[in-house]
Amino acid sequence: MFSGLIDNYTQSVLIFAGIHVIAAYSFFAPFKTGQVSLGQAGFMGIGAYASAILTQKMGLPFAVALPFGGLVAGIVGIVVGFPALRIKGVYLLLLTLGFSEIVQVVILSWDYTGGAQGFRNIPFNPNTFEWCIGLIVLLMIFFARLERSSLGRAMDAIEQDETAAEVMGIDVVRIKLLAFGIGAAIAGVAGALFAHHTTYVDSTTFNILLAVEILTYVVVGGGSTFWGPALGAFVLTLLPEFLRTLRDYLELVPTEWTDSFPINRIYDFLYGFLDFENAKRLIAYGLILMAMMIVRPDGLLTRDSMRWASFARWRNSRD
Amino acid sequence: MFYQQMINGLMLGASYSLVAIGYTLIFGVLNLLYFAHGEVFMVGAFVGLFLVLYAGTNIYVALFGAMIACAILGAFAFFVAVRPVPKDRPLAPLISTIGLTIVLQNLAIYVFGGQQMAFPETIHQALYHLGPITISSVQIFILGVALALMVALWLFIERTKLGRAMRAVAENHETAALLGVNVNRVVLITFIIGSGIAGIAGVLDGLKNSSVSPFMGLGAAVKGLIVMLLGGLGNVPGAMVAGLLLGMIEILSAAYIGTTERDFFSFLILILILLYRPTGLFGTRTAEQR
Repeated sequence: MFSGLIDNYTQSVLIFAGIHVIAAYSFFAPFKTGQVSLGQAGFMGIGAYASAILTQKMGLPFAVALPFGGLVAGIVGIVVGFPALRIKGVYLLLLTLGFSEIVQVVILSWDYTGGAQGFRNIPFNPNTFEWCIGLIVLLMIFFARLERSSLGRAMDAIEQDETAAEVMGIDVVRIKLLAFGIGAAIAGVAGALFAHHTTYVDSTTFNILLAVEILTYVVVGGGSTFWGPALGAFVLTLLPEFLRTLRDYLELVPTEWTDSFPINRIYDFLYGFLDFENAKRLIAYGLILMAMMIVRPDGLLTRDSMRWASFARWRNSRD
Repeated sequence: MFYQQMINGLMLGASYSLVAIGYTLIFGVLNLLYFAHGEVFMVGAFVGLFLVLYAGTNIYVALFGAMIACAILGAFAFFVAVRPVPKDRPLAPLISTIGLTIVLQNLAIYVFGGQQMAFPETIHQALYHLGPITISSVQIFILGVALALMVALWLFIERTKLGRAMRAVAENHETAALLGVNVNRVVLITFIIGSGIAGIAGVLDGLKNSSVSPFMGLGAAVKGLIVMLLGGLGNVPGAMVAGLLLGMIEILSAAYIGTTERDFFSFLILILILLYRPTGLFGTRTAEQR
């Protein structure tokens, strides 16, 4: 559909950004009830393997496999979510981290799907880009509606104070489980998309680093509004690509600005540093993460900034 | 065979313990997950390697140098990634220390390259036979240093004024401050001590595996977290015992069940502890009760 508009490289970067946005929303759903999960990588793995078994082993079409991946991950999510109800904070973080690790070990030792060799020859889905756009639009509508629905308000109440929410008559157990299950299902869908785009997955694909990255997307983007996860995942996925082109911009600086003593040293250092092989890019990425948390610890977008950008404010300011 | 595996388990567990002590000290005084600790461990290993390889020092100087370098790094981490970040948001310090983790790991890859580097033999190799057990001089050295360090630290925390101040801060910041403890200083010292110990642990790990790599930090960080929970958050003797215990469980399950199941067991233990005994094996209070 968009093949004439953008080149292949851009499209592949955008596809990964899209999958990351979906994964960020999978983290966002339980996060709305105050549950911080590092299990999203594990759920992505489950979704990827479940869907790939359908397409590669049984020859079913991708359109069937994708919801199946989400469903399996969602069911596992509810099973994991039950014990997870009892604990919170650091304990939940570590429990879900342990879950992701266990999924990795199971994948590694399951010979049916290739075990340590990885799952090969998963059918390539040529329309991943369109699928991503469609799913992201659906998710954004869903979370936008959720924010103003009674379920969404109940989630906010649980996040603020669980006991108070329970006293108000909110079914805390059911809503927390639901949020966890929805998150797991979304992660499963993201995993299915990923598997059918790369056509190869193994136990290290869905590791702790991926889980941490997903967490980072939401915190950096801002976890208080539904725009935050999309923005965070998008910005952080594209940031390394942007850093790659930074040197071209540096070359635009006129030479007469930079040939006197202190500035030329800085310029040379920056120029040398900005050839941006992988390690240097990631150093810059880490530094930006640290700076972000000092400058905007609530994330890029907060409820205040959404109010600032809202239509009502614009309308009111005209008269 | 069984006793031999027990010794191997103790060896593995000793480095887990040393990493977890740093975690549990820092978690105790700040109530925050400090993600960069594994990378401090990795930096310690590289500092030790370079002291031995290029400065030609003996292993004691290398251990001492790694300790000092990591103590400085810990203080630095505190000032750039923990202190400036608001504490009332639980995830912000986590993300900033993740950022620091990425920076340190990739700095190591950038400087040393992404491969493993061999750790030279610095201790005279000898094998001793004690009944059914064969133990090498390197193993005795590692166990000796680790145990001595743990005893010293335990005495420090239990017997000195500063150690008492650390326990007071872990108990309650406000009360400690009212009683005349300089909380900020104690927190900084906690970072310095925990990081220094991680540096020594890194060198010992390099000695044990005869190699050092920029990727060794993550595994150590995750195992350190499990040990911290197993011993009870903020419980230093708990972390020591739990580390040795986890090391033995891993080695025994690898020896008698299978190597892929080894990690499975450690994470299964993590989950069971979280669900049924969140206070840890040795019963301290949970984070919510603090």
